[in-house]
Amino acid sequence: MARQVVIGLEIHLQLNTKTKLFCECSTDYIGATPNSNVCQICLAIPGTLPIINDHAVELAVKMGLGLHCTINDNTRFHRKHYFYADLPKAYQVTQYEHAIATGGYLDIVVDGKKKRVRLDHLHLEEDAGKLVHPTSDGRLSGASYSLVDYNRGGIPLSEIVSMPDMNSAAEAIAYITQIRQLARYLKVSDGEMESGSLRVDVNVSLSNPDGSLGTRVEIKNVNSLKSIERALDYEIARQNRALDTGEPLYMETRLWDDVAGVTRSMRNKESARDYRYYLEMDLAPINAKPEYVQKIRESMPEMPWDKRDRFVEQYGLSFEDSVKITEQLEMAEYFEKCVAQGAPADKAANWLMTEISRVLNEKGICICEFGVDAAETGRLIAKVAAKELSNTQAKDVFAVMIEKGCTLEEAIKASGASVGRVEGGALEQIVRKIIDGQPEVAETIRSGEDKKGGKMKFLQGLVMRETRGSANPAEVAQLIEKLLK
Amino acid sequence: MMEFCKLSAAEIAEGVRGKKWTAAEVLEASLERIKKYDGKINAVVTLCEETARKEAAEVDAKVARGEDPGLLAGVPYLAKDNFCAEGIKTTCCSKMLENWVSNYDSTAVKLMKEAGAVLVGKTNMDEFAMGSTTESSIFGATLNPRDITRVPGGSSGGSAASVAAGYCPIALGSDTGGSVRQPAAFCGVQGFKPSYGQISRYGIVGYVSSLDQVGPIARNTKDLALVMNVLAKADYYDSTCDAYDRPSFTKALEGASLKGKKIAVLSGYDKSHVAPELLEAIDKTAAYCKEQGAEVFEIDLPVARKHAVACYYMVALGDASSKMACFDGMRYGYHEDGKNLTDMYKRSRNNGFGKEVRRRILIGTCILSRGYFDNYYIPATRVRQMIADEFTELFKKADLCICPIHPQLPYKQGYVDDKPLRVYLGDAFSSISNLAGLPSMSINTGFTQEGLPTYVQLIGPRFGDDSLLAAASEIEKGFGAPECASMEGVC
Repeated sequence: MARQVVIGLEIHLQLNTKTKLFCECSTDYIGATPNSNVCQICLAIPGTLPIINDHAVELAVKMGLGLHCTINDNTRFHRKHYFYADLPKAYQVTQYEHAIATGGYLDIVVDGKKKRVRLDHLHLEEDAGKLVHPTSDGRLSGASYSLVDYNRGGIPLSEIVSMPDMNSAAEAIAYITQIRQLARYLKVSDGEMESGSLRVDVNVSLSNPDGSLGTRVEIKNVNSLKSIERALDYEIARQNRALDTGEPLYMETRLWDDVAGVTRSMRNKESARDYRYYLEMDLAPINAKPEYVQKIRESMPEMPWDKRDRFVEQYGLSFEDSVKITEQLEMAEYFEKCVAQGAPADKAANWLMTEISRVLNEKGICICEFGVDAAETGRLIAKVAAKELSNTQAKDVFAVMIEKGCTLEEAIKASGASVGRVEGGALEQIVRKIIDGQPEVAETIRSGEDKKGGKMKFLQGLVMRETRGSANPAEVAQLIEKLLK
Repeated sequence: MMEFCKLSAAEIAEGVRGKKWTAAEVLEASLERIKKYDGKINAVVTLCEETARKEAAEVDAKVARGEDPGLLAGVPYLAKDNFCAEGIKTTCCSKMLENWVSNYDSTAVKLMKEAGAVLVGKTNMDEFAMGSTTESSIFGATLNPRDITRVPGGSSGGSAASVAAGYCPIALGSDTGGSVRQPAAFCGVQGFKPSYGQISRYGIVGYVSSLDQVGPIARNTKDLALVMNVLAKADYYDSTCDAYDRPSFTKALEGASLKGKKIAVLSGYDKSHVAPELLEAIDKTAAYCKEQGAEVFEIDLPVARKHAVACYYMVALGDASSKMACFDGMRYGYHEDGKNLTDMYKRSRNNGFGKEVRRRILIGTCILSRGYFDNYYIPATRVRQMIADEFTELFKKADLCICPIHPQLPYKQGYVDDKPLRVYLGDAFSSISNLAGLPSMSINTGFTQEGLPTYVQLIGPRFGDDSLLAAASEIEKGFGAPECASMEGVC
C-alpha cells in the first residue's frame, strides 16, 4: 500500500499596520537605517510595558473571519522564553492557549477538484529583530561578530496553523496561494514571500501502512513557492527512502538549503527548548465582543472564492478565466467597472488577460498602478463590441490612452481614428480602388468560385488596412458585394 | 530657620502656594538634611540637586506668575531607585544597572512633576526590590533612623528611612509583597499599597507584573491621600491600570468616622510567632475602633493563613525569572564578553546580579519549567484565587480588616543572612493583599519603651482605597501621626 503524504503548514503573515504590535514605532523597516524604528518599549528598556495595537487585533480578527474561524472573546498573550540576541525581552509575546481565532477552514481547488483544509487556529505574535553576521569580505560564514537590527522586532504577525490535511505539494502550494490571496483581498497583509511578509514552515510526514501518522518533520527556511515545492519533493523522497531501507526517521526540525537543494537537521526533539510559556501579565486580556466582531464582519469585502464563483455565474466566464480575473481584487474590480460601462464580460475578460496583462508585465506594475481608468477601458471595449471601432483601431486608441493617460474620446481623436470613420462615398472610392487593383481576385468572386469566402475576406482585409481600421467591416462587405455586381 | 522637616506635604504645598516660603527654600532644607545625615543612614543613592533646583525654580516661577503650581507644589520627594526618571540614574541598586541612566520618565514621576513635586533623589532598596531588609543593595545597607542598629525593612527601605529621617515628607516605593508597608512599619511611618490597577506601573522596574503596585510613604494619612490624588489615574502606557474614575482620596478623609463601621480582626494564626508588642498593637487598635463606635469581630482566613507564603513565592518568583530575563548584557547594563553568545549571557547575568536575585531567578525558572509549571505554578494560581475569594467573602461582612503587617519588630542588621527562610515567612501577612490585589496600609501605633515602632495592617476591599484611607485617618487620630526621628546622636 502506498504511503500517503501528510502536510500541515504554519504561515506567518506580517500584518499591514503602521505601528508595531506593542508600541508606536513605525513598521516601515525596509530600507530604514538599522535601529531607527525603535523605542524604549520595543527594546525592553527597564520599566516599560507593552501596549496592544488595536489595529493589529482588528486585522487578525478580519483574517480569522475570512478563514471561517471562531473569534474568541477572551484572548490572552503568553511569554515564550528564550535567550537570543534578536529578542530584547528574552521572551517573545505570543498567543499560546488563548488564540484570537480558532477552528475554521479554507477550500482550495487543485486539478479542478475542491478540497477543504481545516485550520487549527490563528494567533497574534510579535516578530523578532534581525541578526547580521558580517565578515571583512562580506560573507556571512565565519563572522567574528554580529550586528542586531531591532527595526523588525515587535512587528505584528499572525500565525495561521493548519491541520495536517494536505496530501501533496500541489495542495500545499494552492493553500498558500489562496491564503495570500485572502490576505491581500482583506488588506490584512501584502503577503510578499520575497520581503518576508509571508513566511511558511512546513510539517511533513508519511503515513504508515496501517494509516497511522508517521514521524513528523518540520522544515523551516523556505522562502518561495518554488522552494516549498522543492523542499517537499526532497523531503518526501528522503522519508520514503528511509522507510524503504529501514533507516530511522526522527521528529526534528530541518532547514531547507536552497542552493544545495536538500534539507538539513537543525535540532531534534530531545534538544527542543523548554520555552516556559507563561501568561503575559502586563497586557490585559482582549475582549472581542460580538458587536465588535460583527462590525468587522460587515466591513469585509466579498471573499475571493465567492467572487470567482459569482463571475462564472453572473458573467458566464469560464472557471479558469474567473480564477485569473479574481486572482487580484484590483483586477476583479477593474473587470466589473469595465462591464458596468457596457463592455461584454467575455470581451472585458479577454482584454484584461491579453492587452492589459501584457502592458502590466512589460512595465512590471500591478493593475492598481495602471494609468487608464477602468471606465475608459470599459467604454473602449464597448465600442469595439458595438463595431464602432475595429480591434486594430481599438489597440491604437488604447496605446494612446496608456501613453497620454487621456480619455477615450481624446485618444480616438489623437490616434487619427478620429479623422473619422471612413464611410459612404469616401469608403466606396477606396473599395473601388482595391477591387481595381485586384482584377483576378475580383473575377474569381464574380464567377462564384469563392465558395469559402476566402477571397472576399482578402479584399475586406485590404480595405481595412487601407483605411487603418477606420471602416465598418459590415459596410465594407456590403460595398464590395455591391461593386462586384 | 523654618523646620521644614517637621511639616507635612500638605502644609509645605500650602505655604508655597500662599508664598509663605518658596519651593527653593524647602528644597535647600531637604538637601541640607540629607547631606547632614545620610552619610550614616545611607537611604539616598542618587541626589539630583541640579534637576531638583530647576524643578523648584519652575514651581516658584509659576507661583510668581499666578499660575496653579499643583497639588504638591514645591514638595520635595524621593523615589525608590527602580522608578525611571529621564536623565537620572535608575540602578535598582544592582551592579546590573549600576550606571544606567533612564531615557524616559515613569508615569508616576511624570505625574508628580506635573503636580509640582520636586524629585530630590533616588532611594536605596534591596537589589531589584528582592528582599525585606534593604541590605542586598550594592550601595550597602540602609540603617533604620529609629534605631541605627536595625534594618529599615525592605525593599523600599531607603524611601521609608528618608521619610522617617525627615529628608522629605513623602517618598515613593513599590510594593510586591509588602515592600512599601513593611519598611514604613519598621521605620515608624505610614505606608500605603493601593489596589492593583490603581496606579500606573509604567516606568517602574518592578519584578512581578501581577503583584507590583506603586505606593506612597508619608508620616500621615492625609499626605498619602494627597499623593493618591496625584498618582491614581488610568494610563495609556499600562493596560493593567484600571480605567475607572477615581474618587478624591483627600475628600474621603473629610468628616470620616469609624462609627458603625464593621471591622474584622484576623485570628486563627499562631500568636506565638508574633511579637507581643505587635499583638498588643492590634488589641489597642481594635479597642480604639470599638470606642469610636465600630463593630469589631474576629475572622479567620484559613487558606491565606496556611498557604499565603508558599503561594506568594511561587507566583512571585516565576514572574521574577521572566521579568529579569531582559537583563542579558546585550543592550544596556552590566556586560561581560564571553566565548560565545551563551557564555556572554552567563557571565553577564552571573556577575551582574547579586545572590538573592540569582536565587529567585533560579527558583522561578524552575517553577515555570515543563513539569513543574503544572505541579507548582498552576496550583499556586488556584490558591491565589481562593485567597482572593476569602477576602471577597470577608468584605461582604466587614468594611475593613485589621491584622499584623509583619510578625516581628525591626530586626537587627545581618539577621537575614542567618535566617533567610524566616525572613520569607515575614511576608505571611503582607503578601496576602498583593495576592488578592487589595489596598492595604501599615499604620504606626506608637513606639515601644526602647523606641521601636509598633504597627498594624489595615486591608480594604478592591478599589476601596478611599474608604480605607478614611478609616486609617480616624485610627491615626487615636495614636497620633508619627513625627520624624530625632536625628540627634546619629551623627
